[in-house]
Amino acid sequence: MNELKPLNSSEPMPSPQGVHRLVQKLESITDLTEAERQGLLSLPLRVQEVRADQDITREGDRPTQSFLLLEGFICRYKLTQVGKRQIFAFHTPGDIPDLLTLHLKTLDHNVGTVTACTVGFIQHEHLHELLRQQPRLMDVFWRDTLVDGAIFREWMLGIGRRSARTRIAHLFCEMTTRLRAVDLVDGNRVPLPITQAELGDALGLSTVHVNRSVQELRGDNLIEWQGGVLTVLDWESLKAAGEFDPTYLHLSGSHTVP
Amino acid sequence: MSLILQPVRVATGSDEEGMLVFAGDRLVAVLVRLTDQHAETGLAGHWFLETGFGVLDRPHEATFPDLEAAKGWVHARLRDGRGGAGGA
Repeated sequence: MNELKPLNSSEPMPSPQGVHRLVQKLESITDLTEAERQGLLSLPLRVQEVRADQDITREGDRPTQSFLLLEGFICRYKLTQVGKRQIFAFHTPGDIPDLLTLHLKTLDHNVGTVTACTVGFIQHEHLHELLRQQPRLMDVFWRDTLVDGAIFREWMLGIGRRSARTRIAHLFCEMTTRLRAVDLVDGNRVPLPITQAELGDALGLSTVHVNRSVQELRGDNLIEWQGGVLTVLDWESLKAAGEFDPTYLHLSGSHTVP
Repeated sequence: MSLILQPVRVATGSDEEGMLVFAGDRLVAVLVRLTDQHAETGLAGHWFLETGFGVLDRPHEATFPDLEAAKGWVHARLRDGRGGAGGA
């Protein structure tokens, strides 16, 4: 990935478009009080547009800020010595993909854009201040990173033990469920602007195996996937194909039933 | 070492036209020819390393425009006794 070059940036400003997705995201896994909600919405953000395929932070960095994803898709990844990439997380609007740098000072992986993104950088000192004012948010963020860990476990099970077709169907179900929780799914149309190569890097599959499995899922009338939009044609069958049980996403209340 | 190719059908469910690749009397790889269903990724007609053995048994993503390119790659890996990123 290329080095991050800002296209456009602005001074810190409260509540830019998209910041409500942070509240939506956190409320999908827990309850928030009005004061906590307002505290999150008032975090000073430095908003920046970032092109596709750019690193935002890199392995070895010691960032003094984290970023909230306002628009677009982000991935976290590492490279082997010969340059093979393993993506181990996709992030969607409302996520703070590098929240862990609040406590782990040296980043141990790379965080980059998949699509063009709008991100809002938050100084760690502002996050610490919010957590001092609203200490229960520590539990909320802790819960959020625990859910991240649960997602890693599920991906590990898939990469280690599931077939290509099952892995892909599972990821389709997971992204549909997560994006629905932040209100980004329109009926059965799910924004999924990732390439087959990126899907392969995430699931430990060659592009050829990804393509074969996607064609199979299409042929069985479970999905359509073109122009960066996944259309789920048969949710129950897709869940069965992916052995998908959303318990590990720990969604609360109305988000539990997709 | 000369490589011998032997046509075979491979039950991949889609890309079934294949070649067994022998180095002497030892099977070292199975190649398949990618069908038109791979047009989207620009790989239709290319040869794909479906599986490899010995030094070729590593996570490869290797595709080749023709069999000569595939043989050249297999040859080089066998000679060097290593895997590594490959493919065209």
